[in-house]
Amino acid sequence: MSNSRSHFRLASPTATLLAAVILLSQPFAAAAAGVDFNEQIRPILSDKCFFCHGPDPETREADLRLDVRQDAIDYLAIVPGEPDESELIRRIEETDPELKMPPPHSKRSISPEEIALLKQWIAEEAPYQQHWSFNRLEPTDVPTQADSKWPTGEIDQFVLKRMREKGLEPSEPAQKAALLRRVTFDLTGLPPTLEELDAFLADESANAYEKVVDRLLASPAYGERMTAEWLDVARYSDTYGYQVDRDRYVWPWRDWVIRAFNANKPYDEFVTEQVAGDLLPNATDDQILATTFNRLHPQKVEGGSVPEEFRVEYVSDRTQTVATAFLGLTLECARCHTHKYDPLTQTEYYQLSSFFDNIDEAGLYSYFTNAVPTPNLLLASKEQKASMSSLRDRIAQHERELAALEQQTPAGFQHWWDNARPLKPEPVVLKESTSALKAEPELVPGRIAHLDFEEWKNDKNVAVPGVKGQAIKLTGDDAVNLEVGNFRRFQPFSVALWLQTPDMKERAVIYHRSRAWTDAASRGYELLIEDGRLAASLIHFWPGNALSVKTKEPIPTGEWLHVAVTYDGSIEAAGLQIWINGQPAELDIVRDELTKNITGGGGDNIAIGERFRDRGFKNGMVDEFQVFERELTSLEVRQLHDGSSLANLLQQPLESLSTENRQLIEQYYRSNFSDAWQTKQTELQQARQKLCDLVDPIPEIMVMRENTEPHQTYLLQRGVYDAKGDAVESAVPAALHPFPQEAPANRLGLARWLMSRDNPLTARVTVNRYWQMLFGQGIVRTPEDFGSQGAVPSHPQLLDWLALDFMNHGWDLKRLMKQIVMSSTYRQTSRVTADDLAKDPENIWLARYPAHRLPAEMLRDNALAVSGLLVDKIGGEPVKPYELEDSFKPTPRSKGEGLYRRSLYTYWKRTSPAPAMTTFDAAKRDVCQLKRDKTSSPLQAFIMLNGPQYVEAARGLAERTLKEHPEDVTAGIEHMFRLLTAREPSPQERKVLEELHALNTDHFAANPEAATAYLDVGDKDFDKTLTPSQLAAMSVVASTLLNYDECMMQR
Amino acid sequence: MMPRRHFLQQFGMGLGAIALGDMLNPVSANAASADAVLQTLHHAPKAQRVIYLFQSGAPSQMDLFDYKPLLNEKHGEQLPDSVRGQQRLTGMSGNQSSLPLVGSPFKFAQHGESGLWMSDLLPHTSKVADELCVIHSMYTEAINHGPGVTHVQTGSQFPGRPSIGAWLSYGLGSENADLPAFIVMTTRDKKGQPLVSRYWGNGFLPARHQGVQFRSGGDPVLYLQNPAGISSDTRRGMLQALNRLHEIEKQETLDPQINTRIAQYEMAFRMQTSIPEATDLSSEPEHIFELYGEQAREPGTFAANCLQARRLAERGVRFIQLYHPGWDHHGGLPGGLKRQCQETDQASAALITDLKQRGLLDDTLVIWGGEFGRTNYCQGKLTANSFGRDHHPRCFSLWMAGGGVKGGMSYGQTDPYCYNIVEKPVHIHDFQATLLHLLGIDHERLTYRYQGRAFRLTDVHGHVVEDILA
Repeated sequence: MSNSRSHFRLASPTATLLAAVILLSQPFAAAAAGVDFNEQIRPILSDKCFFCHGPDPETREADLRLDVRQDAIDYLAIVPGEPDESELIRRIEETDPELKMPPPHSKRSISPEEIALLKQWIAEEAPYQQHWSFNRLEPTDVPTQADSKWPTGEIDQFVLKRMREKGLEPSEPAQKAALLRRVTFDLTGLPPTLEELDAFLADESANAYEKVVDRLLASPAYGERMTAEWLDVARYSDTYGYQVDRDRYVWPWRDWVIRAFNANKPYDEFVTEQVAGDLLPNATDDQILATTFNRLHPQKVEGGSVPEEFRVEYVSDRTQTVATAFLGLTLECARCHTHKYDPLTQTEYYQLSSFFDNIDEAGLYSYFTNAVPTPNLLLASKEQKASMSSLRDRIAQHERELAALEQQTPAGFQHWWDNARPLKPEPVVLKESTSALKAEPELVPGRIAHLDFEEWKNDKNVAVPGVKGQAIKLTGDDAVNLEVGNFRRFQPFSVALWLQTPDMKERAVIYHRSRAWTDAASRGYELLIEDGRLAASLIHFWPGNALSVKTKEPIPTGEWLHVAVTYDGSIEAAGLQIWINGQPAELDIVRDELTKNITGGGGDNIAIGERFRDRGFKNGMVDEFQVFERELTSLEVRQLHDGSSLANLLQQPLESLSTENRQLIEQYYRSNFSDAWQTKQTELQQARQKLCDLVDPIPEIMVMRENTEPHQTYLLQRGVYDAKGDAVESAVPAALHPFPQEAPANRLGLARWLMSRDNPLTARVTVNRYWQMLFGQGIVRTPEDFGSQGAVPSHPQLLDWLALDFMNHGWDLKRLMKQIVMSSTYRQTSRVTADDLAKDPENIWLARYPAHRLPAEMLRDNALAVSGLLVDKIGGEPVKPYELEDSFKPTPRSKGEGLYRRSLYTYWKRTSPAPAMTTFDAAKRDVCQLKRDKTSSPLQAFIMLNGPQYVEAARGLAERTLKEHPEDVTAGIEHMFRLLTAREPSPQERKVLEELHALNTDHFAANPEAATAYLDVGDKDFDKTLTPSQLAAMSVVASTLLNYDECMMQR
Repeated sequence: MMPRRHFLQQFGMGLGAIALGDMLNPVSANAASADAVLQTLHHAPKAQRVIYLFQSGAPSQMDLFDYKPLLNEKHGEQLPDSVRGQQRLTGMSGNQSSLPLVGSPFKFAQHGESGLWMSDLLPHTSKVADELCVIHSMYTEAINHGPGVTHVQTGSQFPGRPSIGAWLSYGLGSENADLPAFIVMTTRDKKGQPLVSRYWGNGFLPARHQGVQFRSGGDPVLYLQNPAGISSDTRRGMLQALNRLHEIEKQETLDPQINTRIAQYEMAFRMQTSIPEATDLSSEPEHIFELYGEQAREPGTFAANCLQARRLAERGVRFIQLYHPGWDHHGGLPGGLKRQCQETDQASAALITDLKQRGLLDDTLVIWGGEFGRTNYCQGKLTANSFGRDHHPRCFSLWMAGGGVKGGMSYGQTDPYCYNIVEKPVHIHDFQATLLHLLGIDHERLTYRYQGRAFRLTDVHGHVVEDILA
């Protein structure tokens, strides 16, 4: 790693320049007195100039770059201290459209205010600064506002300082009730219960609030709430996405996340395990499971797609997700060209992607089978693991015993030789005698199919002269089908044939047992020609779960070859042999990991010469095609080739046989006639079958596992999958901190680099995201972009202090959450004065708590919680609430408790996401997303007013209320109001609701059918002990309250 | 325009808050409505709205619009390598041992004064030939449906970008405050390549710009109807109470966002009337059903959706998109294509005629076409009665009508094999640029800042096809 990295630095002029920029700009970092470069100047230059005069040499005009101070000065674009002498200013102020900058056709323009700023900055000697987010995190002095008692901790000191600079003062603390509701939603995603509310209101101790915070952080609901947000970051989906969008099994990863948050796994470990858990020393299954994170991108199955195009897409997605989630970099810009705004070259993009380009994966998942794309992890229970282990021991024992048997002359051999040899000496010459073949089944037992093509009735494939009588010539588009061949992976079997290829085939299917090539991930077994070589494979899912061997040499063209493929049932590549003209071919092992079945998916029998959407054996010839349900021995293969080897040996006197021939004949005897050997072989096979039967049903989940031989990554020109440029090695962008010297050059090293103390980005990006979670907006309002086009931080020193403090305290997330919610800043009221609203309409300076709408999950979970319908159960497979029946691709709803689980468990289908959730701005989860919109549309009102989930929840709330307050309507209304807002209604509000209740009581009393129709909405029966008209009227009030702004908002 | 948008963002106001002001004047006279990001258009628009009849699965150009007698002459012969060049093939036919050319079995003739060629599968469309601008030289990079449709609809083959309709909703807003700006209808019960909601998604634009799918049968919009037992009066009572609560809250908190909430619920109440009214075909007279065909009486058919589209256009919906799947004829093309045309031909032509007789065609752009073309060679077995055609990105045909494009025009040309474009290629980014141009938008200037970069529908490409502008 360090080698390739330093090589890169020397080799790339761009990177060297960038390094120079950083060095050059350092002296000026502190010099900014008046105009602040990072806050005021860089955004202008970046947005208006860098596109043509920035880091990307490809689009640079007039050889001028303005992102490097010395270059701009050398060019006289900037003359420090002399704005009027600076070409930059002249050109901006130019009126001639031919000369004006930015040129009119660019459709960019610079405002008079911006020009004034640029002039002032040049007048102040035009100091540059390194982009703020790339600066190493250094200890920040906490400001003190000695005159104020308001600050609770350091956060408040920073906030108060900024606030006062803007002429603002903090607001009052929020009411206790509002604060409890706020913090309970923020830390658990659920509303407080009335008991919790009463207890808090009654608790007058100084640390009453802190006790609440500690209780919430310790509750299991905390992990669920944190996970709901992480699912957006991880682009979690229960389906593969793209177009066909089948279901996939990834929820055990989601449950891992919940456990991790609840256990308060330090954030550095949380990230490291997800990025590279598989590479940790002695990685546990749980740590490997964490890496499913990298595989949650959309995956493709659509017929006819080019697998490599999508495999490249997956690698890019993994890379970009890590860049966005942990670095806040818009790396994808550099996929097709060097970044226009940030110091990231296209080469660096592919160097970073190389970390994620080293797993044995396919570009398409399997249409005809439900195989889990490789690599994956078997999610076996403890008991299953124990059984697997003991079965493996038993298999090993049987294998040892069998091997021992094969060392000795088998019992009964002499007797057999003397009395029971299958053939009396009769030399056989294949090409002349046809009777020899008829006799062969006796010589080579176990044959279950034989095609000699002598009676072939021409269809598209035609009969031609063959090795013996007729052969068949194949079109490549028409298969010859057999009726046998559905072997399981523990069963020995052999296939023998004569073949002749007319030319050097790049790829041709000779025979196979499978439904299709990529569309079935080649499930089954096959013999192919690949680059002129013979390749035999047994496959569960190609490429990651298969045995595959390939001849070292290409086969000759234009001549008949006898080919046999024998397999011993060992489920290892060593047990798979290709024979050419009776001799074992020298082989390369291509794949040697088969852990699941090779049956299923259709195409159960052997077909010759053609496969669905694959390249057939065009103009190839095949003769004497035979299938055996056992592993043939060497002598038998020779016999099939020359028609004489075995037969001849059987005619010799035993004493005259050479040692080698004697061993061969003993092997032949053992395999076909020795009871001892066959008994042991049967036991072995049965033990293997038991293991297969145990393993096959155990679910697998996609994870990361490095290839044994590293996969070479290339720069892709314009980002196009087949436009390979230079080979690149794994490395990190030169503009960022160096790769740790002792770290391995793989994903684990990358994770160490990410979590390094020297990393200026990850800690900033992380604390910003959690700040955003609690305040609705981040300190940087573009959480996904900390580059030069991103927003500048509103509180840069606070961000830096928080980030460093987070790192210094072991990346302790619960501590961070507590730190923020304990602050006076967080505990302010959200009420705003007209004056403050005018001064700070967007509430950037936090002189009040920023009210914001609850996210989609909380709106629904709140309704379920207050109605008493919520099923409080953690984890498990996804569920299908009512809304999925009305999604774009409707799916039947769950029965029973699946309707009432928390929303993070809602089944997520990428092409048809839960419609109510997306209407409330839930992320689509196609790509990593760090921020949601908070829009308001009439379609949302339909969901809250008419959706069966909410209608049923309103009724549940009314039922609960009527049972607690059967006689007292006012008390009932107050009860509901408190559940939903945590406060008492004002007399005015109570009056509105009482009137609504009265109106509806009369209405439903007069219209009992309307009442029962309304109460029948939802799967859960309404409480028949209650009077329908009263329940309906109270439900209408409850429904109205669920739509009340204060209930939908975090205030 | 920026200050206005800035203002909206500051106060967190969405569609609702602004629409409130428009409620007195549901169909605004200006193209750019109050919730639009473009408060002034870049130039005078020719079209106010678009009806996009998307034919999903890729209709065969050389069996409908692009007459190629050479293919009949060379029927059964191999596709010459010189014609194919470097074109990548899909995994479906790419491994076939032979690629025999197939002539169209359908009869072609010239129609109208303009003499546009069309096959006899289009007896109705051919009657409105003089209204159509048929582009024969469309092309794309995608070779499969998912990327192909995503490319046409969003300007990128990969998921994540906003669709055309979402861009228009964002740029121009709605002409009618009581209906969504972007409405999608799909033909019901069609087999074929699946549609995905991303095709009308908002991408990174705010969620309110995503296409609202009007469903056939039941509620056109998710949970539009009151639940069982809740009458319109009951609902009005609830909303009045809700409104009073919100007024109290506004006094208390001074939060301007509450205005948004109030408007949101008022508009929802109005939509509960306006949407059923717009989607109710029962008031359409008999001669209209004759025009669109009997199928128009059956909800969810392409014909019914075309009629629906006209009603929505009349009510000022900005972008109305129909999806009709089933054109993916890898095999059995002769029968399959005929059925597809029977389902779409009459209603497509009727829509043109109907818009014209109402004076709406002048400012309504109608588009008919798929995501790519089909191969001139046979996929699978070429038999006496049947054959299939694989995906072909290098050329396909698409027509536009009304809304500022020339009628009776044939634009661009393919080679006699219908494999390569020989004249005036139109990339789908050019098509998108032209579409925006007709609506008064410079495609390079309708942008959205996301992840540090200004994105636009046409990515960094696209040229307006000036020659077809009326």
